[in-house]
Amino acid sequence: MIEVSGLTKRYGGFTAVRDLSLAVQPGEVLGLVGPNGAGKTSTLRCLAGIIPATAGNVRIAGRDISTDPVAAKRALAFFPDEPRLFDYLTIRQHLNFVARIYGVADHEAIAGPLLEELEIADKADQLPGELSRGMKQKLAIACGLLHRPSVMFFDEPLTGLDPLGIRRMKDSILKRAREGAAVILSSHLLHLLQEVCSHVLILKKGEKIAHGTLAEISAQFANGESGVSLEEIFIRATGGSEH
Amino acid sequence: MLRALLYLRLTSLKNQIISRAKRLRQLKYLLGALVGSAYVYFLFFRNFGGASGSRGAARTAATQTLAALPSSEALAQTLPLIAAVSALLLLGIVMLAWVIPSTTPGLRFTEAETAFLFPAPISRRTLIHCKLLSSQFSILFTSLFFTLISNRWTFLGGNALTHAFGWWFVLSTLNLHFTGAALTLSRLVESGVSPLRRRLTVLGGLAVVVGLTVAWVWRDLRAPDAEDFAGVTPFTAYLLGLLDHGVLGALLVPFKFVVGPFLAPDTRTFLFSLAPALLVMVAHYSWVLRMETSFEEASLAAAEKRSATLASVREGKSVFASAHTHARPGPFYLGSSGRPELAFLWKNLLSTATYFNLRVLATAAAIILVGSKWFLSGTTPDIRAARVVVGMISLTAGAYVLLLGPHLARQDLRGDMPHADILKTYPLRGWELLLGQILTPVAILTGLTWLCLLGAALTLQPTGRMALLLTPSGQWAIALGIAALTPFVCALQLLILNGATIIFPAWFHSLRAAGPGGGIELMGQRLIFVFGQFIVILTALLPASLTALALIFATQWLIGATAAIALATLVVLVVLAGEVWCALWWLGERFDRLDVSSELRP
Repeated sequence: MIEVSGLTKRYGGFTAVRDLSLAVQPGEVLGLVGPNGAGKTSTLRCLAGIIPATAGNVRIAGRDISTDPVAAKRALAFFPDEPRLFDYLTIRQHLNFVARIYGVADHEAIAGPLLEELEIADKADQLPGELSRGMKQKLAIACGLLHRPSVMFFDEPLTGLDPLGIRRMKDSILKRAREGAAVILSSHLLHLLQEVCSHVLILKKGEKIAHGTLAEISAQFANGESGVSLEEIFIRATGGSEH
Repeated sequence: MLRALLYLRLTSLKNQIISRAKRLRQLKYLLGALVGSAYVYFLFFRNFGGASGSRGAARTAATQTLAALPSSEALAQTLPLIAAVSALLLLGIVMLAWVIPSTTPGLRFTEAETAFLFPAPISRRTLIHCKLLSSQFSILFTSLFFTLISNRWTFLGGNALTHAFGWWFVLSTLNLHFTGAALTLSRLVESGVSPLRRRLTVLGGLAVVVGLTVAWVWRDLRAPDAEDFAGVTPFTAYLLGLLDHGVLGALLVPFKFVVGPFLAPDTRTFLFSLAPALLVMVAHYSWVLRMETSFEEASLAAAEKRSATLASVREGKSVFASAHTHARPGPFYLGSSGRPELAFLWKNLLSTATYFNLRVLATAAAIILVGSKWFLSGTTPDIRAARVVVGMISLTAGAYVLLLGPHLARQDLRGDMPHADILKTYPLRGWELLLGQILTPVAILTGLTWLCLLGAALTLQPTGRMALLLTPSGQWAIALGIAALTPFVCALQLLILNGATIIFPAWFHSLRAAGPGGGIELMGQRLIFVFGQFIVILTALLPASLTALALIFATQWLIGATAAIALATLVVLVVLAGEVWCALWWLGERFDRLDVSSELRP
């Protein structure tokens, strides 16, 4: 569902992502972790077609994001860390707008249950300025889910959410994965990876250090010790610093 | 404490200068600085220094010529009137602080200042002093800037130094007054005086002053007659009589003290004017210090609001955008299927004022039609003259809308650029997105231009030789031709402006991040943008205009002027449509390749 080979992203002389290859199958949730500046956001943006990759191929639902971007983007949804909403559109109008952009024919039938699930149905006629940070996040999620994407990218999805919001977000990601979506999420929160991700990819300075299931990663860095926490594994894998 | 604040201000200023100097290593800032400096030099400093060389000689000659003119003398005689009018203006500004003050009365601090100073172990009085000291930095800068402007007003007399001090007195006193007013209003709010009651009290006081002045004019002065309008001197004398005596005269005295140093024509007068100006200032200062009231809560709210407004401006929105936003129904029904560009039109129309809709457009057109009919039925010379004036105003307004409108109507990619990463995830081609984005300003500007054109076409009637050349049908053909071309001309201009944000996103980012103002280098960048836009639009319109002229010239003998104009319009339409399509396609490709993370979020 998500196939990446040799992805490289350079900004001038600086290489943010170097020769990254990965694949995420339907139903899998890949956690992208790494220290600050490891290249997580650049990777996600390249995969979502927001920025062009310098080299390499990215295929979303079988479509190449650089040669057939429109078809590839129809299958994906990108959720930024900060919900970026239009100030003058209510929740309902946001969904109306997104439905037209993606050509979602029965959007009202989908939007209703979606808003109920995200618990913002009673705010449907309110503007983003009247919503709390968590509700804005929920609106951004509703917009992303409206066209039933088969591929999802989450950039720090738990930023600014309260404990209940965090629980619901985790449930929502798992639900979509169970329904067959391929998901990649980047986060600094290791407990999120533990609870949600089936696979983990550790990046450092734009390079892949480790990639596999949680058990495989643990085995790789536990050095034979038992009961090593994910935090300890992360520190061992990244060398304990950003550099 | 004040020493700490002084340290904060001076260190911030030093670091700001250093960082500005450092960024000149980037070409975009260096070019901007060069252009901005050249502009400032030619605007303010070219005539600032002594007379030297040929330019100096020319300036001296010009000054002598001016001095020889009686009008210069007359202008000098108007100085007392200028003082009175300036005082009246100050009175008006001061009244505004009471009638329509900020919705959150309180002293203005930045969010950082509230975070550091409010919890600090310092008294409220010291906080006020901090505020006053902070204000002095911007007042000094503004005084110098205003001096550069007012130094050109040679008829005022005085010199750069007296003007600088004069501006400082005016601005400092106003600042003290606003501070005192803010504190007083905070106290009134605390004591339960409603804004309505306060406004009524101030307006009531104003009404009393106006009433007493009118009564005094009625009783002691006289209404102006034809002799008062016979020349500058009698008119000045009449106005001075009005402003220098009675209740209004008495009310203006302290304000005249304040503007005294600035308007002093020589050093002696300047020195004499210092004492009264200082007196007013000290009175204000003691008033501010006596206001023992809690302003912190209101200041916090004001700081947050200002911060939100600044963030909004940095996102490319209008200063007024974040003020009050209300949910409202969509401008038209937006179905789930169909051209995606219409979704952008729908969305961007929602972000404009509610009166930009078809109903208002139709109503305005109907009013213009009815009004023009009444105008056309009038045959007296007065009505004919008024008709010409209205026609010319409509024509000028139309030209302004067409040329300046695209800079002001920013409900397009310029406003949405902060959402560029989201826009790029949409399954759309760049040209589709760009077309959708410019539809709203094109629709608004076209509607406004059409209204102006309608007003001009209905009221302007050619006379004399023009009437022979331009028949009514020819006139309507021109009006309809311009109306048909308007959306394409608007689209071209908007594509240039939107294209600039796509081709030079780093420049756009630096201008947006700076918010309002931002230094001489950013002023230079803006000038380069405006100049560039002017050149590009001229280049784009030139082929179409030349083709139109050639066609009209070549075919009017064969098919008549009206048909020639129609034919030329059709050809120009095709040329402009082609240019718009090419620009859309090319800029769309550029947008598809735009690397938002390296350019917009450095």
